[in-house]
Amino acid sequence: MKSRSAALVTLIAGACVLPYGLGGYTIHVVDIALIHALLAIGLGLAMGVSGQINLAQVAFFGVGAYGVAVLTTHYGYGFWAAAALAVPATVATGLLVGVPALRMQSHYLGIVTLGLALGFINWITNARITGGADGISGIPVPTLPGVDLSSEYLYYYLEVAVFALGLLFGLFVVHTSLGRRLRAMRDDSLAAGAMGAEIPYLRMTAFVLASLYGGLAGVLYGGLIRYVAPETFSIGNMFILLAMVIIGGRRSLVGCVVGAVGLTLVREWLSDFSTYAQLGYGVVVVLMVVFAPTGLAGIPARVRDLYRRRAGHHEARAELRPFTPYPPAAPATGQPVLLVAESVTKQFRGLRALDAVSLTVRAGEIRGIVGPNGSGKTTLFNVISGFYRATSGTVGFAGDDTTTARPYALSLAGMARTFQNLRLFGQLTVRENVLVALDRTRTRAIWQYAVWQPGVLARERRLRARADEVLERYGLTDFAEADPASLPYGIQRRIEIARAMAARPRLLLLDEPAAGLNGEEVRQLVRIVRSIRDTGTTVVLIEHNMGLVMSLCERITVLSGGRVIAEGTPDEVVAAPEVIEAYLGDSDLTEAGLPQPPTAEEVRRTEEAPS
Amino acid sequence: MQETLQTLVGGLSLGAVYALVAMGFSLVYRTMGLVNFAHADIAMIGAYTASTFYLTVRLPFAAAMAVAIVVTGAIGLVIERVLRPLENKDFDLMLIGTIGFGIVLQALAIIIWGTTGRAVPSPLDAAPFTVLGIRVRTYDLLVMAVAALAVVGLGFFLSRTKRGAAMQAAALDHEAATAVGIDVGRSNALAFAIGAGLAALAGGLVGPMLYVDASLGGALGIKGFAAAMLGGFGSIHGAVVGGIAIGVLDSYAAGHFQGYSVLVTFLVFTVAIMIRPMGIFGERTVSRA
Repeated sequence: MKSRSAALVTLIAGACVLPYGLGGYTIHVVDIALIHALLAIGLGLAMGVSGQINLAQVAFFGVGAYGVAVLTTHYGYGFWAAAALAVPATVATGLLVGVPALRMQSHYLGIVTLGLALGFINWITNARITGGADGISGIPVPTLPGVDLSSEYLYYYLEVAVFALGLLFGLFVVHTSLGRRLRAMRDDSLAAGAMGAEIPYLRMTAFVLASLYGGLAGVLYGGLIRYVAPETFSIGNMFILLAMVIIGGRRSLVGCVVGAVGLTLVREWLSDFSTYAQLGYGVVVVLMVVFAPTGLAGIPARVRDLYRRRAGHHEARAELRPFTPYPPAAPATGQPVLLVAESVTKQFRGLRALDAVSLTVRAGEIRGIVGPNGSGKTTLFNVISGFYRATSGTVGFAGDDTTTARPYALSLAGMARTFQNLRLFGQLTVRENVLVALDRTRTRAIWQYAVWQPGVLARERRLRARADEVLERYGLTDFAEADPASLPYGIQRRIEIARAMAARPRLLLLDEPAAGLNGEEVRQLVRIVRSIRDTGTTVVLIEHNMGLVMSLCERITVLSGGRVIAEGTPDEVVAAPEVIEAYLGDSDLTEAGLPQPPTAEEVRRTEEAPS
Repeated sequence: MQETLQTLVGGLSLGAVYALVAMGFSLVYRTMGLVNFAHADIAMIGAYTASTFYLTVRLPFAAAMAVAIVVTGAIGLVIERVLRPLENKDFDLMLIGTIGFGIVLQALAIIIWGTTGRAVPSPLDAAPFTVLGIRVRTYDLLVMAVAALAVVGLGFFLSRTKRGAAMQAAALDHEAATAVGIDVGRSNALAFAIGAGLAALAGGLVGPMLYVDASLGGALGIKGFAAAMLGGFGSIHGAVVGGIAIGVLDSYAAGHFQGYSVLVTFLVFTVAIMIRPMGIFGERTVSRA
C-alpha cells in the first residue's frame, strides 16, 4: 500500500514537471497522447468493462470536436460555452448509437456501430455547416484568466487535469456498484439479469460513458488543434484506437491508458515509416489477441501466476466451511399462493416443450419438480423466471401477472434462481459475484455517480459488510477473493446458492442443485434448503436425485413430455402409476435405486442427526 | 418510372458484388462461427491482384481473376491457421483478431501498390445497349452472370458434395462432426479459403466499376457485411437477397441524397436490422453469438 501511494506521488510529480524537459513538438505529441488516452478510457469502459462492441468511438470524438468547432465559428459561442453544449450533444449521440445494443450484441453491434460511424463521416465530409472535406479552422483559443492556453505547455496542464479526473472517475465507476454490474453483464448478461441488473439500461449506460469520454476528448482536441477535418475521425483511426485498447488491455482502464499513450508515441516515433508502423501494430494486435488476450495490463498477473506455479507456491489451505443456518423466522400464516402458472405452453418451432402446464406454489413450501430428461423442467423454470416468454398461458408471481416480465423485473420483485450448468460471473471474484446480487438499487440511482460520490462509497461499504455476512454464512469466506472458475464444482454450486440468496428473494428456484455433488455436499445442501425455507423463502427445485427430493420436498410435481402427469406429496407421487411408467418404463424400481423408502429414510436420518 | 427502373438496374450489378462479399462472410460464419472483419480487405487485395495481372502482366481478365482467387485463398488459410486457437472460444477476441488482420492487409497493399489507386478498364468493349429505355452496361450483365454462377456453384458444393456436406455438419455441431470423423480443422480452413476466394471474385469484378485503392475494402466490406446481416447471417440465400437489397438501396440513396448516400444507407439499414435482428432468412438457432 505504501509503495503504491509512493508510486502515485512520483507519477503525479512526474506529470507536473514533465513539460520542463520536453521540446515544443514533443509536448504537442504528449498532448495528443492524453486525448487518445481519454478516448481509450471511454472505449475500454464500453468494450472491456461492459462488453459492448463499440466501433463508433471515433464518431463520438468527432461529435465533440465538431460541436465545439461549429458552435464557436458559426454561432459565436465562447469556447467554454460551446464545450458545455458539445459534451451533452455527444452523450445524446451516444444514447442514439446505443439503441441498437438493446436488440443485438457482439458482431451485429460491431457492424451497426461501424456503419453509423461511416454515416457520420459521410455527413461531415458533405455538409456545408461542417466545412465539408476542408473542415473548420479558426476555433478560438480557450480562455482561462491568467493562463495563456495557446501555449501547448500550459494546455498540457489543462489536459492532465481533465485526464486525471476522467481516469479517477472511470476507476471509481469500475470498482463500485455500477461497474460491477457492467462487468457482470459482460460476463453473462442472462445471469446478470436474473440477479436484478437492468440490462437494457446498463447497455445504454455503457454507451453514455463511452460517449462522455469521447466528447471530452473531442472538446480538448478542438481547443488544442483549433482545426477539425474529416480525416481525423476516419475508420482507420477507429481501428488504431481499438488497437490501443487491445494492446493495453481492454479490461483495465490503466491498461487502456498505457496502450493509448504508448501507441501514440510509437506511431509518432515511426511517423516516417507510417505504413510499416501500421503493419507492425496490426501484427501486434493479432499476436495479442491470440497469445495475451488480457493485453499488457494482464501480463503482470500472468507472470505472477507462472512464477507461483514454478515455485510450487501454495497458499494457506482454503476450505469450504459448513453452512451456518439462518435464524428461523416466524412461520408464515395462511400460506398465500406465491407462484401460479396457468396452462403454460412453450413451443419451439416443431417442438412443444411445455404443454398446458399448471402449477401452484404456496408461500413457505418446498416444491420439487421431477421428470425424465427433456420433460420440460428447465424450460418451465425459464418461463417462470422470464428468460422465455410462454407461447400461451399465464404466469403469476406474488399476485401480479408476470407472464411477460423481464428477468431483472422478476428479480427485483423477489425471485431468484440458480442455473443447471452454473452461470457465475467468470471474471468477477466470489465476493463480487455475491455483491452483484446483494445490490438491489435500481439503475436510476446512478445519478449519485454524477453528483454525490460519497453516497456511492457509503452504500458500497454497507454492501461489503453484508457480503461478508453472506460469505461467512455459506462457509465461503476463504474463497472471497478467488476466481470462481478455479474452484471445485461443489463450491461453485454453493456460490450459486449464496449469490441467489444474497438477493433476499421470496421465491428461490434451484435448477438441479445437487448435480455433481458428493454425499456430504448433498447433506449440506439439504440443510441449506431447509434453513432457507425456515426464513420464509419459498423454494422450488428441479432435481434428479430422487432420495433428496423425497426427503426434502413437501409436494412434488412430475413432468413428462412437457405435461404435468402427477402432483402431490412424495408418497402419493411415488405410488402414481403414470409416474412409474414415465419414469421407469417397465424396469424394476429397485434397479433404478429409486424411492424404495430406505433411500429416502437414509437421507432423512442423516439429516436429522445432530452434526 | 423510367428513372426508378434505371436506379434498380444500376443497383443490381453493385448488389451482385455485395452479394458475393456477403456470401463469403456467411460461409465462414456458418462454418466456424467467425465474423471475419478482414474479409473486406481480402476483397481489396483480390481487386489489386486481379488488376495487376490484368493490366501489368496482361493476362486475360478471367485468368487474372483466377490468380487473384488463388492468392486470397492462401491468405484466408493463413488467417484461419493463426486464429484457430480462438475458434469456438472467445467470439469478441476473434472478431478483433480479424480486424488486426485487416489492418495488416491494408498496410501490405500500400507497401506493394502504393497509396495512389488505379482505374481498371472494363474487359468488355461492347457498348451499352438500351432495353425499354433503360441503359444497360454489358459489364454489369457479366457481373450479375458471374455472381449467379457463384451462387449456384456454392449451393451445389454445399448440398451435393461430400466435402460440402461435411462443412455443413461441422457448422451445425463441431463436436459431433469430429466424432463422426470429419476433420473440422480442415473443413474450416477450406471454408475460409472459399470465403476468401469469393471475396477476391467480388474485388476483381468491382475493379472496373469502382476505383481500386487501399480503402476499397472499407466501402465494399461494410456494405457486404450489412447485406449478410440483412439477409440473415449464415444464410446463403439471405446473402444474395441482402446484397441486392443493399445495392438497390445504395443506388437509390445515391440518386436522391447524393453526397449523403452512405449516411442514408446505414440509417435505413440500422432501422431495418433493429426491427428484425435475425434478418430475412436468419434463424435464431443458427446464430452462435
